[in-house]
Amino acid sequence: MPDRAALLEAQIPGLRCFAYALLRGDQERADDLVQDTLERALARWHLRRNEGNLRGWLYTILYNRFSSDQHRLQRRALHDALTTQTEQREIDGRQDSALAHRDLLRAFSALPEEQRSVLLLIGVEDLSYKEAARVLGVPIGTVMSRLSRGRERLRQEMYGHERK
Amino acid sequence: MRATAGPTEAVGEDDLHAYIDGRLPSERADDVDAYLAAHPEVQARWSQYAEQRQALRTALAAQVGGSISTRLRIAHLLAAQRRRRRWRLARVAAAVGFLMLGAVGGWGARDVFSALSSSSAAALATAVFDDAIAAHRTYSVETRHPVEVGASEEAHLVQWLSKRLGRQLIAPDLTALGFRLMGGRLLPADSGPAAMFMYEDGKGTRVSCYYISADLGGEAEFEYREENGLGAFYWADDGLAYAITARVDRDLLLKMAEVVYQQTSPDRAKPKLPSAPRKPS
Repeated sequence: MPDRAALLEAQIPGLRCFAYALLRGDQERADDLVQDTLERALARWHLRRNEGNLRGWLYTILYNRFSSDQHRLQRRALHDALTTQTEQREIDGRQDSALAHRDLLRAFSALPEEQRSVLLLIGVEDLSYKEAARVLGVPIGTVMSRLSRGRERLRQEMYGHERK
Repeated sequence: MRATAGPTEAVGEDDLHAYIDGRLPSERADDVDAYLAAHPEVQARWSQYAEQRQALRTALAAQVGGSISTRLRIAHLLAAQRRRRRWRLARVAAAVGFLMLGAVGGWGARDVFSALSSSSAAALATAVFDDAIAAHRTYSVETRHPVEVGASEEAHLVQWLSKRLGRQLIAPDLTALGFRLMGGRLLPADSGPAAMFMYEDGKGTRVSCYYISADLGGEAEFEYREENGLGAFYWADDGLAYAITARVDRDLLLKMAEVVYQQTSPDRAKPKLPSAPRKPS
């Protein structure tokens, strides 16, 4: 068996990014979620069905944890840290790009969770449509329509409303 | 927004998404290029999508970059896992110690254990003990139909029971202790379906391994119960409660429980009771 520590370590940056964006920039909770995911993966290492697709398996664990947490926290207002943190980092001199980032991330945070998760898995984490469907537990057609809606909504937020 | 572009199959939104996600089959590229060239409005929109796609990657990378905290290092997590495992095995040993003490002092083992566990965990333990012992009593004496699905269809059996319990189960391998799998069955219980695997040795002694989903939010330590010559070990771990029941002596039953515990729990390389610390792997 390949070294599972090395296999898992390689996935951590992607998982952190996914968790961070799902949780709209709450780095502390994102790392909690990643830690929880890794612990579960280690605990279930021998239950992996498909040796080849470690990544899809990890994203599935993470997303399921996220969903069940969301369910629990439904009534609790989410602290939207994404924009705050961006503002703090503007100080470092790259103000233009930081401003653009902040606007984009703010618009992204405003998307419904189901669209955010699809845009992240496909556009940022480079999963295939089929893998994303598996992670989210929805049919591929649903992934495609969420992708369309999410992209269009984000575009309208950033570039103004469509002119025909 | 679907439109036809010449004689080939119409280019649709799915093609265009695939185009910017780098997932378009190469034989389709010409069609999409031609379509976009013929529809500048669509092209403008999709290039904005592509731009945002890239910008989102860059923005998130800038945010999430930086060092990965120690608590996420795999070596760290593995060490924590080993500590938990050692602690649990130590508790098994302690439990056995208590049982002996109980036997000597005429002190009921159940009293000791109900005092040790919290109330909801204790309620679960009681329910699982009751159900597992009742099931064992009922089915272990069957000569013709001890199981619903036989060991010859083990893969199907495991898949079926896993599906019904909503968790991936495994049929533990007890051949090292001289017991072979006979098969298993689905059982009703108050909190949902339960699964049972049955084993037999060369002398006809039968052991059953009982599983039920249990949302305990943690783990429950090993407990032992004896009823009219039937012994049972119970524990819960990671969303499942387990009970091993047989008419054998406690030491042998504990060995079986350990084997099942090791096979069903993550890091299954580990034999024997309270053992020396393992070197980090």
